[in-house]
Amino acid sequence: MTTTLTEGNLQILFPAGISARKFDDDQHGLAHCMKAVDFIVELNDRYLFIEFKDPQHPNSQEGDRNKFIRGFLAGNIDQDFKHKYRDSFLYEWASKKIEKPIYYFVLVALDTLTEADLITRTDALKRAIPVDGPPYGRWKKKIVAGCALFNINSWNRVLSDYQVSRITP
Amino acid sequence: MSLIKLYCEKFTAFDKLNLDFSPGINVFVGANGTGKTHLMKILYAACDITKTKMDFAEKLSRVFLPSGRALGRLVKRHKTSSRGMVEVHRADCKLRVSFSNHAERADSAKLTGKADWMLRSMESVYIPVKEMLSNAPGFRSLYNQREIHFEEIYADILDRAYRPSLRGPVDKARKDLLSKLQKAIDGKVVVKEEEFFLNNKQGNLEFTLLAEGMRKLGLLWLLIQNGTLLDGSTLFWDEPETNLNPKMFGVLMEIILELQRSGIQVFMATHDYVILKELDLRKKETDKIVYHSLYGDDAGQIKCQTVTQYLEIHPNAIAQTFADLYDREVKRTIEGSAQ
Repeated sequence: MTTTLTEGNLQILFPAGISARKFDDDQHGLAHCMKAVDFIVELNDRYLFIEFKDPQHPNSQEGDRNKFIRGFLAGNIDQDFKHKYRDSFLYEWASKKIEKPIYYFVLVALDTLTEADLITRTDALKRAIPVDGPPYGRWKKKIVAGCALFNINSWNRVLSDYQVSRITP
Repeated sequence: MSLIKLYCEKFTAFDKLNLDFSPGINVFVGANGTGKTHLMKILYAACDITKTKMDFAEKLSRVFLPSGRALGRLVKRHKTSSRGMVEVHRADCKLRVSFSNHAERADSAKLTGKADWMLRSMESVYIPVKEMLSNAPGFRSLYNQREIHFEEIYADILDRAYRPSLRGPVDKARKDLLSKLQKAIDGKVVVKEEEFFLNNKQGNLEFTLLAEGMRKLGLLWLLIQNGTLLDGSTLFWDEPETNLNPKMFGVLMEIILELQRSGIQVFMATHDYVILKELDLRKKETDKIVYHSLYGDDAGQIKCQTVTQYLEIHPNAIAQTFADLYDREVKRTIEGSAQ
């Protein structure tokens, strides 16, 4: 049976046999002190941490949307993405649920984002988390195996098994 | 009075091209060899002769510098004899020149519309890709006296830069622009015996000791300060991004937008994503920006798509490059993802 998870006006469809759960719901229990990504998916060889941002929500105000875009392109939102990942990682680590590499995928549902914007912010997020540890190989394990930012188009193109769509246009 | 249209046939890279311009900012984008610089040189030549009263074909020959100054070499190369033609339009007049591919001298070209075209003079500036101010001392006199192999745009830009300051008080808009530039270059530009210096707290610093990008901003400061860039002028800037750190692009595009708001028509060619994005993010609704995207079609002919929004630029060689980079980056990240 397929699984559909929703976040605001966005929904993501997982094929049968994939274990996907909403992570930042009431069950989390530490919302007062830890940030959380929206969904966690378990695959055979990895986990996917998934975060959705929807500045183009049909009910969003133009002013808020423009403020988000400016902040996002200036790199201010990277910090939010970083904290969501790290806190979710800690939470799952303490729950003894980290047994495979984790990939972190962020979807920013904004049609006007170009690939140049996405690649710039992907690089910035990699540096912020950080994907690579300190020099000289001091870290024996990576805290994230890989991360990338997407808009809806690039998400559905690259991660075509997990289609994202709007609930209402 | 701004340039509104250019039409050319069999000229340099172009078989047939028709372009309509914005009275504000015109941005040329396109891969190498699609003729961005050629278009700006044609337009600049048409503007410049309204001041110098030089023959249009002669000016084209001087700014393009065909081998042996043979004008016919500017005709698009065909196996048979052919004629090249260029037409530049302002609101109430047009200037047209045509010549054969055998034309050796500029005076063999056929020119129409000259009398009306020359009635009203247009101030214009062409900032070339290569910075010239640091090589300025002695260059102008050498250029005037000897046959040296330099396109005339290089001598012309020095003529503009050497102009003395404008008489009278400086209006607020110009003052604001100058102070923005002064902040960016951390000083003012002074000229002593044909040599350019950056004057700041530490004294006078030779232009040869300045980063090349800073010299370009210094040139812009001079052109605004000496009144070359005023309401009604036309600015041509070929690849403003050259040798400048991308951090400075924001200030630069803000100044370009301000110049446009004060009535200066701008033409610029760029290969740079940040330049385009800064322009797009900083523009206001009243700003008049158009993008001319030049590309070679399947038959190898240069075509142009003109649009008013950055995201509509198509084809966009710069965005395509980023799209390719992004796809490879994401592919590397999720390589082997058990989808």
